[in-house]
Amino acid sequence: MLRFILRRLGVAVPTLLVIVTLAFALLHATPGGPFDSAKHMPAAILKSIEAQYHLDEPLWRQYLRYLGNLLQGDLGPSFQYRNTSVNELVRVGFPVDVLVGGLALLVALFVGGSLGLIAAIRRRTAWDYLPMFFASLGVAVPVFVVAPLLILIFAVQLHWLPSGDWRWGQPRYLILPVTALALPFIAYIARMTRGAGIEVLTSPYIRTARAKGLAPRTILLRHALRPILMPLVSFLGPAFAGVLTGSIIVESVFGLPGIGRYFLVGAINRDYTLVVGITVLYGALIIAFNLLADLCYAWLDPRVRLQP
Amino acid sequence: MSPARSATPWARAWQRLRRRPPALIGLGTLILIGLLAVIVPMLSPYDFATPDWDALLQAPTGTHWFGTDALGRDLLVRLMWGCRISLLVGLAASLISVLIGVLWGATAGYIGGKTDSLLMRTVDVLYSVPFIPLVIVLTVLFGRSFLLVFVAIGAVSWLDIARIVRGQTLSLKNREFIEAARALGLGDATMIRRHLLPNLLGIVIIYATLTVPAVIIFEAFLSFLGLGVHAPLASLGTLVADGAHHLKSHPYLLTIPAVFLTLIIVSFGLLGDGLRDALDPHEAR
Amino acid sequence: MRPAADALPASKCHNSRELLPADSGDCGHRFYFVNRILNVPIRAGVRLVGLAVGIAALLGGCGDRADGPQRRAPASIKLGTALAADQTVTRSLRDMPRTLDPSLLTDVYAQYVVDDLFEGLTVLGADGNPAPGVASAWETSDDGKHWVFHLRHEARWSNGDPVTAADFLYAWHRTLDPKTGSEYAQALAPIVGAFEIATGKASPDALGVSAPDPYTIRIDLVAPTPYLLALLCDSFMQPEHRATIERYGDDWTRPEHIVSNGPFVLRELIIGDRITVAKNARYWNASSVHPSRVVYYPIDQITQISRYLAGDIQFADDFPSDQFRYLKTLLGTQVQMSPQLAIDQLGFNMLQPPFAANRDLRLALTMALDRDVLANKVRQGAEFPAYTLMPPLPGYTPAPPEWAAWSTEHRHAEARRLYAAAGYSREHPLHVQVDYDTNESSRDLFDAMAAMWRMNLGAEVEPYNEEFRVLLQNLRLHKSLLFAEDWVGDYPDPYTFLQLYETGFDENFSGTSDPEFDALLKAATSEADVARRYADFTRAEARLNEDANYIPYFYRAARHLIKPYLKGWQLNVLNRIPSRYLYVLEHEGD
Repeated sequence: MLRFILRRLGVAVPTLLVIVTLAFALLHATPGGPFDSAKHMPAAILKSIEAQYHLDEPLWRQYLRYLGNLLQGDLGPSFQYRNTSVNELVRVGFPVDVLVGGLALLVALFVGGSLGLIAAIRRRTAWDYLPMFFASLGVAVPVFVVAPLLILIFAVQLHWLPSGDWRWGQPRYLILPVTALALPFIAYIARMTRGAGIEVLTSPYIRTARAKGLAPRTILLRHALRPILMPLVSFLGPAFAGVLTGSIIVESVFGLPGIGRYFLVGAINRDYTLVVGITVLYGALIIAFNLLADLCYAWLDPRVRLQP
Repeated sequence: MSPARSATPWARAWQRLRRRPPALIGLGTLILIGLLAVIVPMLSPYDFATPDWDALLQAPTGTHWFGTDALGRDLLVRLMWGCRISLLVGLAASLISVLIGVLWGATAGYIGGKTDSLLMRTVDVLYSVPFIPLVIVLTVLFGRSFLLVFVAIGAVSWLDIARIVRGQTLSLKNREFIEAARALGLGDATMIRRHLLPNLLGIVIIYATLTVPAVIIFEAFLSFLGLGVHAPLASLGTLVADGAHHLKSHPYLLTIPAVFLTLIIVSFGLLGDGLRDALDPHEAR
Repeated sequence: MRPAADALPASKCHNSRELLPADSGDCGHRFYFVNRILNVPIRAGVRLVGLAVGIAALLGGCGDRADGPQRRAPASIKLGTALAADQTVTRSLRDMPRTLDPSLLTDVYAQYVVDDLFEGLTVLGADGNPAPGVASAWETSDDGKHWVFHLRHEARWSNGDPVTAADFLYAWHRTLDPKTGSEYAQALAPIVGAFEIATGKASPDALGVSAPDPYTIRIDLVAPTPYLLALLCDSFMQPEHRATIERYGDDWTRPEHIVSNGPFVLRELIIGDRITVAKNARYWNASSVHPSRVVYYPIDQITQISRYLAGDIQFADDFPSDQFRYLKTLLGTQVQMSPQLAIDQLGFNMLQPPFAANRDLRLALTMALDRDVLANKVRQGAEFPAYTLMPPLPGYTPAPPEWAAWSTEHRHAEARRLYAAAGYSREHPLHVQVDYDTNESSRDLFDAMAAMWRMNLGAEVEPYNEEFRVLLQNLRLHKSLLFAEDWVGDYPDPYTFLQLYETGFDENFSGTSDPEFDALLKAATSEADVARRYADFTRAEARLNEDANYIPYFYRAARHLIKPYLKGWQLNVLNRIPSRYLYVLEHEGD
């Protein structure tokens, strides 16, 4: 186990390097630069700005410079938010996404998992069809419809909750964003749990356990749950990484100061360091969570042999 | 005398499917929507592009059954075209990603070792690629061909399936029936095809039905970046996105396309659940 | 020397094309251009306190007059108005400002906030006209090229330091220094030497600005610049506190470090969430500042509507036109619209076929466009149709083409004739792409235009949206044949628009090169007399219209949602509403 982890961490380094390189190359391949403007800028000033940000150096040197800084934990200055570093943008924004996203996914896991399990156990009854129907709704209605709808109902009409903004330590600001974010995940998780649940519950060894006279709850919790969780874990790994780096739409609709917007805003404004920086963060999270997922496989299914 | 039961599991599965009303409802709805999407534009006096300056933003009436949009274009016809596009994109792109994802994930999980590591680390890298710059570069390099939409979507949506399939393969790989088959001397390809895949089908189908709505919405996002259907054509996702602007002022612009989108998604879901049930090797009936 | 009072034109609300800038109704502010006042020839060296009094008197408006001629009295509040206990103003911004450093600003939203934090020699009055700021008085030479500003002694920084001429010189040199990397340094180009310094061709002492004493600034201009006072209100002309910048470097704009001299100080800045500024007790005119706090929320245009309806925002800045009619029905007078100094237009590529040297085709296309339908039907009356380049500017007489007044049938018939004369027909239609910047609200608009060209002419124009920077590159390389080129004026003078078609101008994406037009522009810009200057510009614009170099379609309108209990605002063409004049009436509910 330990060797496995170490081996994977070792592989993580070249993987991250590939990610950084690809992202760097992709950003610089995109036409246009961060200081393009429809308004006239004298060449001398453009040159000076570019020199400040080392954009006048050959690409390989900029790349190496970036790597050098990255190794020291410095993600560089933001090109569009002058006088702010990417580190700071991430430091301020990331915790917001961790809280909102993490909460949303945990809620979704609990609610969706329960719905899916119930649907699997009581399949082809109302307990199956109704929750699955609503689960499909959750998938079908996109978040850019759900989020404004929630605001319309709960903030504008009922005045129960704030329509946006963010205050640390005040749960009121969390409720709507977490709900909007959780709904599609509830749907996904419910459907996958139901599918996996049915497969597991009709499998021979569960039938054996039932024949042995074990109580349903024991069967469920001790024998069925683990294999049901397997596909969920595969899905949750990248899901966590994605949700922790923020949802563009939820952040913009609710005015949350997270880092999700930076993917869009940074790309559009060619903020090279910002986009590569959060890509690195995202990549690291992906690698970490996929590693965790693999470890979970081994824990959930003892037959799985982890080969590094 | 009852007709002899066919030997192939596929025919058996189809028979099982036929006995599940929800699945049939789902299938039927999809076929109905598909037919409407083809027939209605042919029968309607309106087309999807011609504006009518005197009939802007009208709620559904006798002349325009679904109302008109901000340029006075008939929403019914536009919606039918949108369904056409989205069904096409949704199905095709999902199929492509399922194919790639299953092959990739099964290979990684089955072979294991360094191959697994290489394949899965590639998946990690592809997850991390910043998507918007990628799309921009693609549009610059390849213009705005519709094919590019499939490439862009395909590049991203198979990743989850690959991971899920790999995970399932890892646990299936070491089960007794696989050992038995190996003891019988079956080759790898046969093993994968005849023993692994049927057991993977269930979860793959579920995930495939979940991919379709994601693809449809994703396509709307791509057209925001300049990729996708050319105006004045609009896909279902685009219609929903545009309708969301008028959530308060002209709700029908959102609700009607959203209802269709939901119908399509729910139908895929029902069909998918039914298929999963029907194809499950352990299923008694 | 004419006494100040006679120099002032009869005040009247400027009624250009029924586009009345609205005001909150509390004071009947007169809307005229301070330019006119400054045409008074003044003997050099004579201080005109009277002029300052005159300005102050007319800008003061009704109601309580602030004490003394030196104090400006902006939108004063009538005695007895019931004010809310909490004078917090909440406003929206369309996007997060990238920086609040006056030298480094690039976006309009940042300008709004900087308007609150810093004060220049002049400052925006409640009506959007320049008013005395740190400078209490000024005079100009006969040829309009030399100005002397007298700073008031009581102006203070937020840390108590006095505001002196040195602060202004430091800031302007900093903006012009190529090492600072200001993207808008060219805005100082009217000042002698500024352009050369910014392009690195001259040393900083070449700048035509001097401070004979700590409270006097002398500015030498390259050419007469009637809009100088408006320029001086802008961010890149504001003073900066040298000690703070030298001490904190790049971090100096952080709330804990920043030192500013305007009506507000920066309290918090949370990227993506909000910016809060609080009243600056040390501001020299603090008694005239109504709000105790202003909170800015950067949110997109659609979402801000929900936040406004929920009561979290009192002043929603600019919502999309497709919400206009609905919101007007729902909210009535809370929906306000005013013209901006900005134009939405399409440009032709004048260097390549099919539009190069094909005036008939260009005319056909621009005539076949039904602007009234676009503005009143497609955009629900939330835009102003445009037939010429210059948006409405007080004092400027536009030169619309003759066909702008024709009936629709006549116009269409003539367009078809020209189209045929250019060699096209319905059987052999024109196939061209119109490139525009990816934008949700633009898609319908360009679909409508394409439909019009198809219906009226039989031309096949295909809308093609591209991401902004990709489009920009194509424009710079002159690859685009027909393109959207929206242009916002940098200052209230026609040159900022007409310059677009001057030979050699960087943003002349169409590639227009007309020596006669250039000559007309040159004549206009060397003219000190504003009336003659504007007349020259009118002639130049008429020439452009004759040649059909472009297709204007909208004068951009600013559309705001303003709560009925928020007062003190007055819409203007610059679309800048300084927060200091706003106040909140007692109210119930949202």
